[in-house]
Amino acid sequence: MDFSLSPDTPAIAAFRKEVQEWLQENMRGAEHLRWSGIWSTRENEEEYRFRRELARKLGEKGWLFPMFPVQYGGGGLTVDHQLVLETEIGRHGLNLNSVFYTLARLVAPAILKWGSEEQKREFLPPMLRGEVSVWQVLTEPQGGSDVATCRTKALRDGDHYVVNGQKIMVGYHHPPDFLWALVCTDPSGPRHENLSWLYIPGNSAGITIQPMHLMMGIKNSVFFDNVRVPAFNLVGGENNGWKVANTYLELEHGGGGNVTEDPLVVRLVRYCQRTQGDGKTLMEDQSIRDIIADTLIELDVVRLFALRNFWCRYVREPHPYGGVQYIYHQRVVRLRNAERLQRILGYDALVTDLSVHEQADFEYAVRSGPGWLHGGGTLDTDRLIFARRLGLGRPTGEAAPTTV
Amino acid sequence: MDFNVQADTQEISVFRKEVREWLQENMRGAEGLRWSATWSTRENEEEYQFRRKLARELGEKGWLFPMFPVEYGGAGLTIDHQLVLETELDHSGINLAAVFYTLARIVAPVILKWGTEEQKREFLPPMLCGEVSVWQVLTEPQGGSDIATCHTKAIKNGNHYVVDGQKTMVGYHHPPDFLWTLVCTDPSGPRHENLSWLYIPGNSDGITIQPMSLMMGIKNTVFFDHVRVPAFNLVGGENNGWRVANTHLELEHGGEGRVGADPLVERVVAYCQQMRVAGAPLMEDTSIRDIIADMMIELHAVHLFARRNFWHRYVREPHPYGGAQFRYYQRMVRLRNGERLQQIMGCDALVPNLTVNEVVDFEYVVRSGPGMLHGGGTLDTDRLVFARRVGLGRPTKETAPTTI
Amino acid sequence: MDLRLTKTQNMFKRAAADFVKVEAPSHIVTEWFRNKATFLPDLYRKAANLGWLGMVVPERYGGASASFTDCAVVFEELGRVPLPGPLFSSGVLSALLVLEGASEAQKESLLPAICSGRSIVIVAITDKGVDWGTESVETRLTNTTGGFVLDGTKRFVYDAEGATSFICAARMENGGIALVLVNRESPGISITPHVGFMVSVAEVRFDRVKVAASSVLGEAGAGWQILDGALQKALPILCAYQVGACQEIFDFTAEYTRTRVVFGQPIGRFQRVQDHCVELSIHLDAARWVTYEALWKLDSGLPAAAGVHEAKAVASEAYYQVCNFSHMVHAGPGTDYGHPLMAHSLMAHTLYQYLGTPLHHKRKMMDALYPRGKG
Repeated sequence: MDFSLSPDTPAIAAFRKEVQEWLQENMRGAEHLRWSGIWSTRENEEEYRFRRELARKLGEKGWLFPMFPVQYGGGGLTVDHQLVLETEIGRHGLNLNSVFYTLARLVAPAILKWGSEEQKREFLPPMLRGEVSVWQVLTEPQGGSDVATCRTKALRDGDHYVVNGQKIMVGYHHPPDFLWALVCTDPSGPRHENLSWLYIPGNSAGITIQPMHLMMGIKNSVFFDNVRVPAFNLVGGENNGWKVANTYLELEHGGGGNVTEDPLVVRLVRYCQRTQGDGKTLMEDQSIRDIIADTLIELDVVRLFALRNFWCRYVREPHPYGGVQYIYHQRVVRLRNAERLQRILGYDALVTDLSVHEQADFEYAVRSGPGWLHGGGTLDTDRLIFARRLGLGRPTGEAAPTTV
Repeated sequence: MDFNVQADTQEISVFRKEVREWLQENMRGAEGLRWSATWSTRENEEEYQFRRKLARELGEKGWLFPMFPVEYGGAGLTIDHQLVLETELDHSGINLAAVFYTLARIVAPVILKWGTEEQKREFLPPMLCGEVSVWQVLTEPQGGSDIATCHTKAIKNGNHYVVDGQKTMVGYHHPPDFLWTLVCTDPSGPRHENLSWLYIPGNSDGITIQPMSLMMGIKNTVFFDHVRVPAFNLVGGENNGWRVANTHLELEHGGEGRVGADPLVERVVAYCQQMRVAGAPLMEDTSIRDIIADMMIELHAVHLFARRNFWHRYVREPHPYGGAQFRYYQRMVRLRNGERLQQIMGCDALVPNLTVNEVVDFEYVVRSGPGMLHGGGTLDTDRLVFARRVGLGRPTKETAPTTI
Repeated sequence: MDLRLTKTQNMFKRAAADFVKVEAPSHIVTEWFRNKATFLPDLYRKAANLGWLGMVVPERYGGASASFTDCAVVFEELGRVPLPGPLFSSGVLSALLVLEGASEAQKESLLPAICSGRSIVIVAITDKGVDWGTESVETRLTNTTGGFVLDGTKRFVYDAEGATSFICAARMENGGIALVLVNRESPGISITPHVGFMVSVAEVRFDRVKVAASSVLGEAGAGWQILDGALQKALPILCAYQVGACQEIFDFTAEYTRTRVVFGQPIGRFQRVQDHCVELSIHLDAARWVTYEALWKLDSGLPAAAGVHEAKAVASEAYYQVCNFSHMVHAGPGTDYGHPLMAHSLMAHTLYQYLGTPLHHKRKMMDALYPRGKG
C-alpha cells in the first residue's frame, strides 16, 4: 500500500512546482483573508469576491475539475495531478471542492454521467470554468430526508416544463446561477419512477427565494410558480430521475472522498500552546492533552475514510458502504469535537472574536456540531443506506452506484 | 422532595437499632467471606451455605419480604422499614434482592398479584421464608428476546399439565427448588393469547438440566420431557399468561428499583490510593482522576434512577418508562465502566486475584460489561419498551403495569 | 497513492487464510480458548515452516527480509482465528528486539533459532499490571562475581507458557535498565498462569536467577531505548492481527443478522441491530486504515512514532469495542464459550492490555507530536 499524496515522478514534480508558483502568484493579496467556513459569521464580501475570482482563474486552466475531459472545460489530467492540486490548494487553507459557494463538484459528475452530448457541451463548461454557481434543490418541507416523495411538479408543455412547488433548506446567501432540481414529472406514476432532474436557470421568471436563518447560517426556501424551463434542460431522461439520484446521492453521501486535512487540531494546539491556565500553558495540562489526543485520533480516522473513498472512486471500484460510513462518522465526530472544544476553550469556544484565533473559527466549529447533523439526509438515513449496502438482514447487499 | 433514606422517626430508629444488632449477631462468622456477585469466579460453597442460612434466618423474621402480608410469610411492615433493612444489609455488603441465588424477589410479587388465595398460601410462605430457590424459565433457543414465541407446550391431561420443550440461558449453578415457567397452553391459539405460567417443582420427573458455560458464569439449558405438573400450579389463569408476564417483566426490567449503592467507585479509589506508579499514587494522575470522575457521575445517575423506580413502585405510581430507562442505562454504564477499569488498573482489572481487591471483584465487573448486556431481553428490547411507553410515533402510550 | 495490496501480499494473504482454514477451524479454536490451551507446539512448528516467524528479519539471519506490510498481511489473517501462541511475541517482537539491540554474535546465535521456531523468546517488561512506562521495571539486576543475579516478579507476561527463554527488563544498580536473556530452565524461574478474563498470560518469577555477563542484550543501560525501538516496528503488526480479528467478527456478525430470525424477521431488519453494525464497522475500518498507514510509514522510512502509538490505541480500542457491539447483536448465544465470539472477547481484553492500554499509547502519541515542556 502506498498512502503517499506526492508521487515524485519528474512530470508530477514539475507540475507541483508549476502549481505552487501559480498559487503564489494568484493568492497574492489574500494574506489577510481567513478562508472561513461557508456559513461562518466571519465571512465577508471581500473574501467572497476573491474566492469567485480564484475559481475563475483555476477554471480557466482546467484545474477546478482537473480529471474532467478537456472538451467540457476540465483539465484532462490524471489522479496524480488532482492530488497535487488538492494538496497545494489545501496548504493555502482552501479546498478544490468548495473554492466558492457552489455544488458543482456534485452536479458536474452527475451531468457528465447522465447528460446527452449536447447537454454536456452546454452545461458543463461554465460550471467547470468556475463561472456559475449551482445549488442543489432537493429537500421539500413535507418530505425531509425522503426525497423520493417529491411534490414539486414539472409538467410538459410543448418545448418546456412548467414547474410548481416548494423546496427548502437549500443554497447559500449568494443567489444561484442554476438550480439542480429534483422534480416529479409524472404525478400519477409509481414511487421512484416518476422523478426527473432539471437544470434550471436561476433567473427564470416565477422563482422566489426566501432566506432562512438557521443554526449554521443562511439557507433558503425556493418557491416555483409556473416556472417555464426548456425541455432541453431535463437531464438523464424523463421519469428516470431516481437512477440519476443514485449517482448524485452517492457523491453527496461521502462517496466522492477527499484528500484534504482538517486543520482543526493544528490550530487547537496552537491555541493551547499560547493560552495560560493555572500557571502553565493549556498544552501542559494532562486532561487537555487527553482530550486533544481523542480529537486528533478521530479526525485522523475521518481523514483516512475520506482518503479511502477518494481512492475507491478514482480506481472505479466503489466501496460498498464507504460513503455513508464516512459521512455518518464525520458528523458524529464533528459533534463530539464541538463538545471537546468547549471543554478545552471554555467561553472562547463560543465567540467569533478574532482575538481567540485568527485562522480557526472555533465558534463555527461548535455550532456546526449539532447544526450539520442532517444536511443531505440524517444520521439515520446514513445508517439505513449502510444496512442496505451491507445486506443486513437480507440475502444480498445493494451495489454501490459507480460515479465518475 | 426528601432523598433521605434514613429519615428515622422514633419507631423507625428503634427498628434500625434492632436490625443492626440482629445483623451483628447473625453475620458473625462471615467476616472471611466476600459476598461475591452471583457469577463471580470467587464464589465458594462456604459462602453459598452461609447465604442460604442467612436467608432462612431473615425469612423467619419476615425480613426477606418486609412489606408482604404476614399471612404469606412477609412482615407486614412499611416502606420505611424496608428502607432500613435495605440500607443496613447494604452495609454488610449484601442486598435484600439477592441474599442467595433465587429470583423470588420477582416471582413472589407476581404470584401475590395473580395467584388464587390457595396458591398464595401454598407457594408464597416457603419462598418468603427463604427456604426455596426459584429460577425464572422464559428464554427459548429459537425465540431469544421474543418470549411470546413460546414453543414449550403444556397440554392439560386430567388434573395435570404435561410439559414438553426446551428453555435456555436460565438459572444458576445450584439446582432450583421451583421453576417459574412460561408455557404455551394453546398451540393453535393467537399470539399473546396462548400462554400460561406454571410453578413447576424442580424435582419433577422428566426435567433435565444441562449447564452452559458462559461469559458471566454458569447458566443452564432445561429440557422438559413429559413433565407432569399439577393443574393447581398454573398461576394467573390459562392463556392469560401474557398479562401475567407484563407484571413479571416490568419487575425484571428495572421497575423494581433499588436503594443500595454500588461500592465500585469507593473500591477503585482505594486501589488507586494504594497503587503507586512512577513514584506517585495512581490517584494523583490527572487522567485517572478524569476517568474516575466519569465513572462516579454515571454510577450516581444509575443509582438515582434505581432509587426513583423504588419510590415509584412503593407509592404505587408506576413510572411510565423508568424501568426500561434504568436497565438500558445501567447496562451501558456497566459496559463503559468495564473499559474504564481496564484503563485505570491495567491487567489487574482482568484477574479475580484477591490481592487486587478483597471486596470488589473487578474482573467480574469487566466481564459483566459485555456478558450481561442481554439478560432478560437485549438493550434493543429495552429501547423498544421505552418507545412504546413514551408513545414515540404513536398517538397513545402503553401504560406501565402496576406491580406490587 | 495506491491503497491496494501487492500481488505478493495477496499471495501471503491467501496462504495464511488457507492455513488457518485447515489448521484452526472455528469449533477447534473455541475448545482451545475454553480450556485455555493456547500454546500449541504443533501449530507453531507448522507456522514456522511456512516462514511466518521472523518474516521481517533479514535473510542472512534466517528471516525472509519481508516488509512490515507483508508481515502484517499474514498476521491479519491469523488474527481472524484468532490464532493464539507466541507467533507475534517471539517471531516479531523478540526478533526485532534482538535485531534492534543485540550484538552481532547474539544476533547470529539467536535470530536463526527464533525464525525456525527452535527458540521461543518472550519479553518480560513490566512488574505491574497498571503501567508500561520505564518506572514499572522493578526487577533487580545485581552484579556478582562472573555475572549477575536477577531478582523480581513480572506480574503479567504474555505467552510465557511456551517460552524457551525470556528477555527480561531489569533495573541495574546504577538505575539504568538492561535487557537480559535468561534460559527458561535456569534455576529460580517459576511460571504461574493467571486465572482471569484473559488468555496466555502468566506471572513469571525470577528468584535469584544467575545470569552470565554475556547474556545482557546489547549495551547494558540502553535496554529501554532498544525496547522502544523494537516496539516502534512491532506494534503495527500486532495491530494488523487485531484488524483481522475485527474483520472476522464484522463478517460473522453481518451474516448472523441474515440468518437469525426473531419476532418474525431476520434481526438485520431491525434498525437498532443495524446501528450496532454501523458502529462496529467504524471501529473496524478505523483500526484498518490507521494501522496500514503506520505500516506504510515504517516501510517508507518516514517518521512513524506518533502513527504507531495511534495505531495501537485505535486497534486495541477497536477490537474491544467490536466485540462489545457484536455481543449486542448476538446477545445470549454470543456469551457461550462454544461461540467464536468468546475466543475473540478473551483475546480482545488481553490485547487491550498487552504492551500498553489505549490511554498509554494516546499519551505516547501526544508526547511524540508535542513534547512536554516546550510550550
